[in-house]
Amino acid sequence: MAITISNLSKTYSNGYQALKNISFDIADGDLVCLLGPSGCGKSTTLNIIAGLLDPTSGDIGIDGHSIIHEHPKDRNIGMVFQDYALYPHMTVLENVEFPLRVGDHRKPKAEAERIAHRYMAMTGIEEMADKKPGAMSGGQQQRVAIARALVGDPKVLLLDEPLSNLDARLRLRIREEIRRLVKSTGITTVFVTHDQEEALSISDRIALMNQGVIQQYDVPQQLYLNPANLFVAKFLGSPIINLFDLAYDQSRKALTGPTFDIPLDRLDRGRMRDGLARALASGKVIAGIRPEHFLVADAGRTPDFTVTIDSVEMIGRYSVLHFDADGVHAASTVDARSPIRDGDRVGYVIDYGDIFLFDEQGTRLY
Amino acid sequence: MKHIGLALRYVFIVAMAVITLFPFVYMLSGSLMTYQESTSIPPTLVPAHAQWGNFAEAMRQAPFARYFVNTVLVAGASTLGTMVTTVLAGFALTCLDFRFKKALMACLVALLMVPYEIVVFTNYSTIADLGLLDTYPALTLPSLASVFYIFYLTQYLTAVPRTYYNAAKVQGCGDLEFIWRIMLPMCRPALFTMGLLLFIGGWNNFLWPILVTNTTDMRLISNGLSAFASESGTAVQLQMAASAITIIPILILYAIFHKHIIEGVAQNGIKG
Repeated sequence: MAITISNLSKTYSNGYQALKNISFDIADGDLVCLLGPSGCGKSTTLNIIAGLLDPTSGDIGIDGHSIIHEHPKDRNIGMVFQDYALYPHMTVLENVEFPLRVGDHRKPKAEAERIAHRYMAMTGIEEMADKKPGAMSGGQQQRVAIARALVGDPKVLLLDEPLSNLDARLRLRIREEIRRLVKSTGITTVFVTHDQEEALSISDRIALMNQGVIQQYDVPQQLYLNPANLFVAKFLGSPIINLFDLAYDQSRKALTGPTFDIPLDRLDRGRMRDGLARALASGKVIAGIRPEHFLVADAGRTPDFTVTIDSVEMIGRYSVLHFDADGVHAASTVDARSPIRDGDRVGYVIDYGDIFLFDEQGTRLY
Repeated sequence: MKHIGLALRYVFIVAMAVITLFPFVYMLSGSLMTYQESTSIPPTLVPAHAQWGNFAEAMRQAPFARYFVNTVLVAGASTLGTMVTTVLAGFALTCLDFRFKKALMACLVALLMVPYEIVVFTNYSTIADLGLLDTYPALTLPSLASVFYIFYLTQYLTAVPRTYYNAAKVQGCGDLEFIWRIMLPMCRPALFTMGLLLFIGGWNNFLWPILVTNTTDMRLISNGLSAFASESGTAVQLQMAASAITIIPILILYAIFHKHIIEGVAQNGIKG
């Protein structure tokens, strides 16, 4: 079912504005992540969709039908909570069949059990049917929670930071399982997380939020390669993007900094945006360069700048080189086999086609 | 030194146990004495022949069976009633958001501080105005809700994560279904303690029933006993037998549930 969120605002009774007029559409069968730092409004949005919170204004439609005035129990939504909220006094089977055994459309015991068993088989917890949640591991509880959320054949599945209570290894596996599961059932899913890697790997689309506003709503690849603004560029990517305050030198037609300059004629004209001229006139621009776009200069090529490496951090498939660019900490990534060690002098070439420029308000210029 | 300390400790514990238990034991043994034995000086501790007839005689002289039924009915009804109102109030105060919730909580705290003796007067005039004196409703109505237990249960429920309620709501569960199927099973220990203490409290209730009843048929066991003590004159052995009859049900409750009662009292500072 497609979800339409229009002009949603939420101000809490203590005056805190959690959501500021957000709108976005979720296509039928899509897995969408609400991503952002804590307090950005992502959980508020999820709870409003579920009906656990009332918005101050705005509307939510499922397949064109407004649900904003419907009680949560009538919205036909499946939800997985951060702490799973499995009922401790019920067995796994009783937990999973619970949504079928309550409310106005209560199903007979035998039918509910049959359906519950189908979803338990799907999530691989069938042999645990008679266990109590307290006797299960985090990953198993997670599956029970998902089975319970899906058992009522909901129109929409909501997941509120479902992986945050699992250890790192399990998290990787379960997130793949979740993706496989929701894709095989074709259910429209909204997933809340503060973990960028989780969001990038699992979603069809990501709504990156900050301070109650959607900063960018796009496919994961675009979010990373083509950030809408400085916040998006900073939030995504590990190691974090390098930022440099540069001044515009009218006479040399270049952005100048203490370590390196960016001549305008090296930039791709097609990527320049409207605000660039105005920002250049003001004289100040922020350059965002991802660590992988600082390329170690091969022999025979003139480097754009040369620095001393402070430390080398081995990650696995790549290494991070940390260096000081005249008072600004910066990092670049190189292949894990690189012979560069602490204290080495390294010449860098900037990959101008992939850098970003922002004005002081964070608006993307290039 | 260490042994002497230990010995002193045991002597103290035994002495306390004897002081606590002696009245009970003497009541039981007194209920089996003849009139002469029960009034002899020096006192008899163990009757020569157990006079089981005392119980039958006490039951014949006053309608203890009727008192007993009255007490079970009244204590049972107020326990049940208080449980229902407390559970509903506890649910509302923890799971629902409504205006003036904090003010309401403050009022409840304030009510806790009003001594029972003051409430008795207003309750009496209310019951009298309703024309309910000397009826079962008069005995039960004022004890159908308890601010103290509302507080106790609310406190217990705030420790239960709110997500259970949210999860149930999203799963299509109504509020009453939530209370019945999730909240009650989850706070079973608290409810159990509450029910026991309420029932014992109802059983021992003395002041209120004596105020609102005046016929023998409406008396509860505690009033019946006190009336019997003055009506039976000096028949000490019968008074003892009657006392034994009245406390035996409570003793049985204690014997079965003493663990729960002690836990409940220890954890929550409820006076039993």
